Order: sequence, then C-alpha cells, then structure tokens
Amino acid sequence: MQEKRQVVCVDQVVKDFRPGFGLRRKRVLHGVTLQVFEGEIFGFVGPNGAGKTTMLKILMGLIRATGGRASILGRDVAESEFRDQIGFLPENPYFYPYLTAREILHFYARLCAVSKERRTARVDELLEVVHLTHAADARLQTFSKGMLQRVGVAQALIHDPRIVFLDEPMSGLDPIGRKEIRDVILSLRAAGKTVFMNTHILTDVEMICDRVAIIVKGTIRHQGRIEDFLPDGARRTELVLAQLPADAAARLEDEYSIEMRGLGERVELTVPEKDARAVLGIVLEAGAEVVSLTPHRNSLEDVFLTAVQEGESEGEGEDR
Amino acid sequence: MNSLLRIQTLAANTFREAIRNKLLYTLLGFGILMIGSGVLLATLSYVEVDEILQDMGMSAIRFFSAGIAIFVGIGLIHTEVERRTIFTILSKPVSRSEFLIGKWAGLTFTVWLQLLLMALAFAAVSWMAGAPLGSAHGIAIALIGLELMVLVALATLFSAFTAPMLAALFTIGLWLIGHLSRDLRALGEQSDLDSVSKMTDFVFRVMPDFEVFNKTLEAVHGLPIRAADVQMAIVYALAYTVATLVLASMIFSRRDFK
Repeated sequence: MQEKRQVVCVDQVVKDFRPGFGLRRKRVLHGVTLQVFEGEIFGFVGPNGAGKTTMLKILMGLIRATGGRASILGRDVAESEFRDQIGFLPENPYFYPYLTAREILHFYARLCAVSKERRTARVDELLEVVHLTHAADARLQTFSKGMLQRVGVAQALIHDPRIVFLDEPMSGLDPIGRKEIRDVILSLRAAGKTVFMNTHILTDVEMICDRVAIIVKGTIRHQGRIEDFLPDGARRTELVLAQLPADAAARLEDEYSIEMRGLGERVELTVPEKDARAVLGIVLEAGAEVVSLTPHRNSLEDVFLTAVQEGESEGEGEDR
Repeated sequence: MNSLLRIQTLAANTFREAIRNKLLYTLLGFGILMIGSGVLLATLSYVEVDEILQDMGMSAIRFFSAGIAIFVGIGLIHTEVERRTIFTILSKPVSRSEFLIGKWAGLTFTVWLQLLLMALAFAAVSWMAGAPLGSAHGIAIALIGLELMVLVALATLFSAFTAPMLAALFTIGLWLIGHLSRDLRALGEQSDLDSVSKMTDFVFRVMPDFEVFNKTLEAVHGLPIRAADVQMAIVYALAYTVATLVLASMIFSRRDFK
C-alpha cells in the first residue's frame, strides 16, 4: 500500500509564555509531536486551556515556538510564501464590521492573489456553500456569531487551499449549521484536501475525523486512529435482571468478578463483552428475567475523560 | 508583483477604516475652523495682516494634521491585534512587513487627503482675505505632507509593539523633540560645558529633525525656498521613513499574537 504523505509535521514543540514582566515562565506545550497526513481529517482534541489554540497559532506563524520544529508541506511555519496553500479559521473570528460578506471575501481573495476573473465566481460559490448568499451584501456588523463563523469558513477556503486549519469550527452554530459545516469538511476530504480541526466537541470528532490527537495540559496523551483508541476489550454489555437467585449472583461474582448494583428488586451488571455470552447463559439457566441488555462501545469521550484525569493527576503544566 | 497587490489591498482597507474614525473628522473640523479663525485674529493687527492670517493657517494645518497622524496611527496595529483581525490576514501569504507597510501606506494616504482638504480651506481663506498665494505656499504644504509621512511611520513603529497610550506618548514626544532639537543644539553650543553641547548635538543627530520640513516662514513672508532644501527634505523623509519601517518590521516580526 502506498504510504500517505506527511503534510504537517510537529516535532518536540515547546512553548513558554511569560505572564507579566517577571522571569517566571509558564510552559504551555511540553514537547508536542504529531503528524498529519495528506487527505485526512485530523482532530486535535483537548479540554479548554490544553494548548490546542497555542499549537495552531504556532502552525499559523502567529506565535513562535520556544523549542522544537514545526513544518507544513515541508516548509518552516515561520515562512509566509507557502501560505497560499493553507486556509485558517481562527476561534471566534472577527472581521472588519464595516465591510459586507462579499467585500471581505474579495479582500481575502486579493491578499491570496486570486485572479480577477476567478475572484467573483469563487466568492459567489463560497457564499453559496456556507449559505450566506441572502446576506452577501449586508454589513458584517449586523451578522450573528453563527453567520460570522460561516464567513470565517468561507475566507479560509477562498484560495482553494490544500490544507485547512479550523479552530473550533462548530462554535456558535446551531445544529443545522453544525451539520452544514460538517458536510463542508467532508466535502473537502472528498476533494483530497487535508483538514486539521481543533475542537472539544467529541461527537463531531467521532463522526468525521480519521485520526485524532488528545492533548491535555500541553502534552499529547493519545494519537492515532479512533479505532486504535477503543480496543475490543474496552467494549462492555450492561444487563438489567430481575429475580436473580442468590446462588447465581454469587457464582457470577466468584467466576467473573462482576460488580452488581441493586435497583430495587432488580440488579444491574456491567459485563465485559468477551464474557457476555457466558454470563447470559448462567442467568437464563438460573431462571432470572432479563429486563434489558445494552451493548456499549467505549466512546471517545471515555478515552478523553480518562486522558484528562491522567493529565490532572500527573500535575503537568506547572510554572517553570 | 503579488507583494505590491497585497500592500495595496491592505492600504485600501486601512484607508476605508481610517475614514470611519470620528476623531479624524473632529480634528479636521477643528483644523479648518482654526484656519478660518485666522481672519478674526488678523483683524486685531494693523500690520502684517496677511502674514498673521497665513501663519495661523499653516500652523493649524501642521498641528491638526499631526494630531490626525498620531491619534489615528497609534491604534493602527493595536486594533488589529486586539480584535484579532490580524489572525486571518497573517495566515494568508502576507508577510508581517507587507502588513505594516500596507497599514502605513493607507494611513499616509488618508492624512495626505485631509491635508489636501485643509490646504484647500487655507487657499480659500487666503483668497477671500486677499492674501497673496504662490508656489511657496504649495511647497510648504507639500513639505508638511512629507513630515506627516515620517510621523505616520513613527506611529506605526510604536503601535507595532506597545499599547495606544504609550504609542501616543512616544510619538508626540518625538514630534515635539523633532521640532525643538535644532533650538536645543543651538542652546547647547552656547554652553560653556563641552558635555552639554555634545549631548544636545547627539540628541539632534539621533532624534528626527522635523524642522527640515518647516518652510512656513519663507512661504508666509514671500522668501525664496531653496531647491536644495526641498531635495534635502525629500531624501530625509524617505530615509527616515524607510529606516523606521525596517525597525518596525524587525520588532513586529518577533512579536507573538496570543
């Protein structure tokens, strides 16, 4: 199988900030290493203050890393010439309020040297994609947060970039808006583009991302395909039983170390998926009534919460 | 070529933004009012009525134009960073130097335009009062334009790394020193202490010399303005502007946008 090309490479990136004028420094990124491959949707996930936006700003050349290397398409992120191949949507984007949606897109198109002939068609096309055609000639000062977010997405795509970096792209959008932006992101992948997405909305990540990195307190805790985070062993089945005889309950506790929770006359059991068939056989044989049987797949949320708890307990991100 | 297009785009947008600044219209209004009020002031004197009228007008042009250059200029970069509009711009193939030059060019164009309006007001008032008008007046006003170009570059420099209040203090301070440094050096030369004269000479050489752009006296009193002085002022303005913008770019390129 042909190996996919690495388009974003972050190698041991460290970032320190000086809060105030003192010599004390606060380390917000602790040797972050990650790779993004061509044509994939990469989710960069973490709680607030984990360092997601700092990492993205380093990639955009808005802040400089204290240590390590970061490159996009093989070019150092400090350069500006290759930026005609990347698009960026910042978190809570803000635009010149006196311009209209159409004018601001023309402004960005000119900055990206989109040809005059192509510009008008491209602006109209993108206004259509983000469903803003009806408000194309209204001043941005009259726009809602969700509408500004759509303008942000459109400006990130104005020059048809190869890689698109999105910081919280679903922020401020209603469910319909979120679906529309998800569809835009999926269409970008279908067109062979690469998408790097900062977010903490895990359902979106599970739905559309190919690969994920979880960052907690400036350290990458997990990185890879979502399936790789959720091994088979992590799957479980929840059983709610009625009239479970005491000897059967004791047998389950002895043989399978299953914890039982009483729910009035009923009991609830959480059984690892590999034991589910055997446990079900025992309870049926004992004459218990199965009230419900719910198979659970460990979600990204479980992995995320575990990673956050691990990060908290290790007490990283202290002042240096 | 693309670089020029980007600078032009940023400059055009800066112009659009600047002409929405209410402070610009307030200062422009006061400037024109001061130019007009020269007519009243001149009636208080029986001699040199035209000179008083035009001296007052030229001073108003210089003072209020500088006010516009400084107070609109100091927020130039700060506002972009504060509102985070700079994030989307710098993520495009725009270098930080291009961004600064675009902002400087846009504001310089704006202050030149308001200078033109004040110059028209000055010409109208002079014409109505019957005061003489000649090419010397035009040259003196054009030199104010060069002074404003340097002043906008200084405001851009300070705006690139500090908050508007400090940027205003620094720019106003340099503008005042720039108009007084010649007098300061002349005073130092009369001092008995060698260290004092050396210090005032040093200040004169390091600080901008805005008096190089001041030909009000010659214009108002009908004295000739030497071509060499004008050439010197042009070279000085260009050199000072380029040096200031290079320094601003160096500082700005090292800045983190948190």
